[in-house]
Amino acid sequence: MTDATLLVLASTLSTGLILGAIFALVAAGVTIVYGCVWLPNASNGQFFLLAALAAWSLAGAGWSSAAAIIGVLFMGIALSLVIEWVLVRRLYDVPERNVAYFVVTLGLTQIMSGIFAMSWGLWSDQFTLPPLVDGITMIGPFPMTNNRIVVLAIALGVLAVLFAALRYHPYGRALRAVFQNREAAALRGVNVRAIYRLSFLLGSSIIFLGGMLFALAYSFDLTVAWTMSVTAFAIMIVGGPGSVLGALVVGMVFGFTQAIVSIFASPTAATFSYLLAMLAMLLFRPSGLFNR
Amino acid sequence: MNGRHLAIALAVAALAAPFVLEGNRFLAFVFGIVMINLLWASGMNLLYGFVGLMPLMFAGIAGIAAYAMVALTREAGWSFWLATPVAAVGAAFVGVLLGLPSLRLKGFYFTLCSLVIQSVLTLAFTFFPRFTNGDTGLNQIEPPAWGGVQLAGVWFDATLSVVAVVGVLLAAWIVQTRLGQRFIAIREDDVLAEVMGIDVVRNRIIAFFIVSLYAAVGGCFYASYVGFISPRSFDVLTSLGIWLCVAFGGRGTIIGPIIGTVILAPIPYLLQELQAFKDVLSGVLIIVVTLVMPAGIHGEIMRRRSLRRAAAPPTVSAAEAVSSNGGAR
Repeated sequence: MTDATLLVLASTLSTGLILGAIFALVAAGVTIVYGCVWLPNASNGQFFLLAALAAWSLAGAGWSSAAAIIGVLFMGIALSLVIEWVLVRRLYDVPERNVAYFVVTLGLTQIMSGIFAMSWGLWSDQFTLPPLVDGITMIGPFPMTNNRIVVLAIALGVLAVLFAALRYHPYGRALRAVFQNREAAALRGVNVRAIYRLSFLLGSSIIFLGGMLFALAYSFDLTVAWTMSVTAFAIMIVGGPGSVLGALVVGMVFGFTQAIVSIFASPTAATFSYLLAMLAMLLFRPSGLFNR
Repeated sequence: MNGRHLAIALAVAALAAPFVLEGNRFLAFVFGIVMINLLWASGMNLLYGFVGLMPLMFAGIAGIAAYAMVALTREAGWSFWLATPVAAVGAAFVGVLLGLPSLRLKGFYFTLCSLVIQSVLTLAFTFFPRFTNGDTGLNQIEPPAWGGVQLAGVWFDATLSVVAVVGVLLAAWIVQTRLGQRFIAIREDDVLAEVMGIDVVRNRIIAFFIVSLYAAVGGCFYASYVGFISPRSFDVLTSLGIWLCVAFGGRGTIIGPIIGTVILAPIPYLLQELQAFKDVLSGVLIIVVTLVMPAGIHGEIMRRRSLRRAAAPPTVSAAEAVSSNGGAR
């Protein structure tokens, strides 16, 4: 193998890892909210983009990237609380609420994309965040920017914490109890509505974080919202709605798919293949690969 | 008989409007667009309002028919009046084929599946430009000719009125046949319907075929009326817009989609300068319809009316009945 092909291989590997970790993160956020609240958040891509754009604005106002990320996370939590208060909690007791939620979030998608087109869309068409850390590390013979290493570490770290928290923390256990059986959880003294709110907040915050990590690693434009929505939904459906493990595994697979496809075709081809994978899954095995 | 009088009045109004609006080309054009949307909305209402499925690939099917119609007229030299039925039936078959596996699904999974199919179709329109010319779109689509003369101006508008009126009447007729009654039974409880001997999947396929025909015919008329189509003409926002007309007006009634379309369909054209604002507005309406008034405007009016009737003391209505009886004598 020549040096050039090795270099391509290495960059594909690192892109696949970073994209896979971010996909897994966002899909985990979507799938937690769907599994628990039964809310399929079609506007997850807009949440993702909103966080990235807000961080871009704060960085433009002179904040450091780290400060901007923390600031946006707090704003994101506040926004999720508002959305939960105004929209989400109205349907907590409706039995077939996933269709209604889906339609509501489609409406939210339209509102947010309209707002983006009227604001950030007028200011610029390509956005980048300044790196968290400078410098380049050589991994063997291959260079990788420290910034992307940190992004990857944060993404994997958050996923690990999420996994552990869902398994061992009392809130995580209560959340999984509501996942599995709402009535039984309520009988055992779990405050179901509080758990709904918590998981909506948690899921949305993870999506916001994913958007900012993506913005740190790559430059982006407004179309990333649509791509991310499709990707996250495809991961959720293929991995099994409500399964965090499924989101992790399929997210990684999709990340590598995207990295490999991007070498010789447009990234849209990857999106196309996600759509087809989701379609096949919906038609033949709607419960997904890792169903609970 | 009130309903029949209203139907006749609306039909007459729809047929007369092109001649009233003849002086103002812009308003007449918007009216024509409303008529096409009316056809679409009454078609979607058959599936969403009466069978209870939300088909978000509706615009995609319209797009297939529109591109097929343009290809047939341009490349095979067919007339619009031959190409449209062929393209429509073809697109309806494609629609059923695409929808066939998803018909076993219901609720959220059906809706998501239809959204995925719609996205695949939009991408296909963009990336297989042989018949679609990709994102640039096809322009200068010839209007249909009638007896050697191209339809134009008020006569094209009037043609669209006729198509829309026929579409609405057909939908109203279907709903009260045995087929329509089976649709409603499936919507109310598909398991119970199955137990009572209704073949749920078969009836859903029939409904899907009819609805795809509505979408396809509307798509062909849209292409020749506007004269320009691109993948964006038939994307998911178009499907959502038509769905909103149905849901906002009142699903599962014949008058509901008419109300919804007349109010909502002109908005994109009246707010042409403010495309992004239009998106925000329709997003807000989607949320309001879903959360606040799921029965739509028509349902809301009906509810208020029945509340008022219930609130009024019964003696008043009895007295009214007596006096009106007395008047009749």
